[in-house]
Amino acid sequence: MANTIIGSSIVIDGEISGDEDLVIQGTVKGKISLKESLFVEASGVVEADIDTQNVEIAGRVTGNIAASDKVELKSDCRVVGDIKAPRILIADGASFKGNVDMDVKER
Amino acid sequence: MATGKEFPSGGTGDNTVIGPSILISGKLSGDEDLTVRGRVEGELSLSKTLIVEPSGIVKANVAVKNAIVSGVVVGNIAATESVELTQEGRMVGDIRAPRVIIVDGASFRGRVDMGDAAPRAEGEKRPAAVRPTLKTTLARPPAKPLPPGKPAVAARKDDEKPAPPPPPAPVLVGEGGKKKVVIKKKK
Amino acid sequence: MASEQINIIGKGITIRGSLSGGGDLVIEGHVEGQVALKNHLTIEQSGTVEADIKADELTINGEASGNIEANSRVAINNTAKVHGDVKAPRVVIEDGAVFNGSIEMDVKLPDDI
Repeated sequence: MANTIIGSSIVIDGEISGDEDLVIQGTVKGKISLKESLFVEASGVVEADIDTQNVEIAGRVTGNIAASDKVELKSDCRVVGDIKAPRILIADGASFKGNVDMDVKER
Repeated sequence: MATGKEFPSGGTGDNTVIGPSILISGKLSGDEDLTVRGRVEGELSLSKTLIVEPSGIVKANVAVKNAIVSGVVVGNIAATESVELTQEGRMVGDIRAPRVIIVDGASFRGRVDMGDAAPRAEGEKRPAAVRPTLKTTLARPPAKPLPPGKPAVAARKDDEKPAPPPPPAPVLVGEGGKKKVVIKKKK
Repeated sequence: MASEQINIIGKGITIRGSLSGGGDLVIEGHVEGQVALKNHLTIEQSGTVEADIKADELTINGEASGNIEANSRVAINNTAKVHGDVKAPRVVIEDGAVFNGSIEMDVKLPDDI
């Protein structure tokens, strides 16, 4: 399924939406809305509000994140923004600043 | 594929793929090849190659090095090297590129601007000798033999001297005469 | 009618005016004006045509400028240099051809475009 990879030299300024997994190795500014999972890799830089099922972040994200299932912040990531998800995992070494709200009804 | 593991990332994401259910609306730019199987709207600017696969739809103005369109493009494409519309490609918009290839089966509506390139093969493609007569050592630029499928008055090359073959004598007005003149001049 | 007649305008010939007919035509010389054919027109590599052209099918290896309309197909081959508006259900441009102008084919776009 995960068919979509935004490579490291790509810069997108706008909105992304879709029904599949998305891997970001480049830069995205704007808005991301997926029915599946978002993976922001170590080289990825996202300045956007995110609304997906799952999010896994190893890179940098600035923006609010809403996930219907789970948000995972991996070690060495940097996230600034509010997170709203029923499950959250923040690894040792991750850097995070914002609010966390786990009281979310399943979507 | 998307397991969140590190791909050979950090740098050589050599090819970005926009999957079939993805819609990107906005500006996209980059220094790598881009394959579109989903939908991109807005503006697209790449220093390498854009590939629009049959399921891809690009509704944008595109500035790239090369573009290969097998899907749908609505918008203008400016390429520094080439644009190719393949057999399944459909495009409405203007193309500006030094090389443009439209394969039989493609559909296209719009302008094409190749600038002032010279057609290839002024010297290359020319088969040796040409039409009728003139079995000559001339360096005269011979014409290409007749197109395939069409009977060959001309295609006889230097086989027969005069010989318009079939009954409908082709209108060879002045042809023979001129040739003789040319011979003389060259000598 | 003159069924499958093949007509050739040789290299040293220049025609100014209008040309029409039912057979195939091969142009190796120079034609200015108008061309209307019911069959296949071929402009050879040495041919130069400055004319509005209407034909059933067109194969261009030489130079053409003007408006071109074909019922079936226009093939702009790699030694061709074409300038003008082309209207046909099928148009082919080979790698190496030089074309400046517009092309109008039937383009079926998806409904949600």
